Amino acid sequence: MNTEPFTEIEFGAQSDCGRARENNEDCFGAVPELGLFILSDGMGGQASGEVASRMVCDAVAAHCREAADNSSSFGGGHDAETCVLGDRLTAAIRLANSAVRCAAQENPSLLGMGATVVAALLSDERATIAHVGDSRAYRLRNGRLEQLTRDHSFVAEQVQQGLMNEQEAAQSNLQNVLMRAVGADAEIQVEVTEELFAADDTLLLCSDGLTKELSDAEIARALEENDDLQAAADCLIKMANGAGGNDNITVIVLRNAPKLVGAFQRIGRWFKGS
Amino acid sequence: MPKLTLKFDNAVLNEVPVGSKEVSIGRSPDNGLVIDNPAVSHYHARVFNEEGRLMLEDFGSLNGTFVNGQRVKMVSLKPGDSVAIGKHTILVSDSRETADPFWKGGAPKPAAPRINETVMLDTKERREFMQKVAAVGESSQPAPARVKLATLVVRKGRTDKKEYTLSDKLTVIGKSPMATVKLTSWFAPKAAAQINRREDNAYYIGAADRTPTVNGAPAVHPIKLSAGDVIAVAGVELEVVYRD
Repeated sequence: MNTEPFTEIEFGAQSDCGRARENNEDCFGAVPELGLFILSDGMGGQASGEVASRMVCDAVAAHCREAADNSSSFGGGHDAETCVLGDRLTAAIRLANSAVRCAAQENPSLLGMGATVVAALLSDERATIAHVGDSRAYRLRNGRLEQLTRDHSFVAEQVQQGLMNEQEAAQSNLQNVLMRAVGADAEIQVEVTEELFAADDTLLLCSDGLTKELSDAEIARALEENDDLQAAADCLIKMANGAGGNDNITVIVLRNAPKLVGAFQRIGRWFKGS
Repeated sequence: MPKLTLKFDNAVLNEVPVGSKEVSIGRSPDNGLVIDNPAVSHYHARVFNEEGRLMLEDFGSLNGTFVNGQRVKMVSLKPGDSVAIGKHTILVSDSRETADPFWKGGAPKPAAPRINETVMLDTKERREFMQKVAAVGESSQPAPARVKLATLVVRKGRTDKKEYTLSDKLTVIGKSPMATVKLTSWFAPKAAAQINRREDNAYYIGAADRTPTVNGAPAVHPIKLSAGDVIAVAGVELEVVYRD
């Protein structure tokens, strides 16, 4: 690590209770020095959803910190077919799973709690994304928004198997049934995807409170119209609340920005485009 | 007034009172009680009041309607009965038993508190459920078997190698230092296209700075690759090959 990267990660993040819920069961965490960003949507009775999502963010961050300090401390075996960062996130989420399950066993009021998770580890022009449940990652590149994760929900799996079309899925009363969640089983299957995260690409991590209210086009517009990423995050929350705000809403917006500031950045882009 | 509560596992999905008007049950959205599942007929059954009795009639549905475990055509229902349609359960209750002020006032029924709550299925439930709903259930659990890796063979264009085995989860085609398939022509884009190996261990090609084509069809959205497919992007042509 003696070469300075030419880009740096800019980010903005926000979480909001929405307009229908009494408490916010979403949670997010950022460890910019590791390029690590985590988002989790909790579920369970009383306050347990909040506990679960907080535990997931903390456990994932703690493991990645430790693994970065001591790269031999990965949990679980190393699979030659997957990348090191993917293994790291998988191990982190497995640890989060057992933390959530242990806490639920020790405290009866937390029984049945669970959470989704989507976490990104960014390194150079690569984003390693791990997820469980229906929290999503999107990438905006050249004005086009692309969903990078596939929901682990009943309706999404039906669509993938061709048993339901997109429209039926959108109207289904089984939208909230998850096939995988952190805390649901002793064994957890984490999906890892590796993605190109090139200069000027924007990455969005979000909970379903955003995507159930806004269309892809609305999300893309909010990301394109706000150069400042905190403004973009705030704008998305405001739009989702405007569209109903039926659930907690959480967003993390990330950009792989060329390492130049202000006006220089624009000149840089101009040169690059020439 | 009698009430029907639609449940899926432990989650309450909907509650519908049965007044003087009958409640039709089925997959079609114009039913009084919609059950959105391929195992349910479009117009599956109906529940109605007849001379003070609550009746259930199955419309000759393919997969049947079961009351307390018995397949039925037409029966009378009583509070406590459990009607099974596919993997869903409809519980019959008399709302007088539950002291709910909204009902007595005739005000609109509030949504059941759990309707919007996210629920998760445990492994056993999920497995049973997937087996029941579709015989293709195993595709939700990728086999841990040996991964078959694809190879890209360069048919046309300038690249640093003649072929590439796709062992990474992400393969970038372009001039970028992170690209696996390195384009060496002068004007090649940094990242022309990308190929992802997903959880199902299949490969999907998608656009980056260019939109690639697969057998001539543009991959505006990611396209799943099969053996023999020919990818064209940024002046190169690559054939997908599986070797043993």
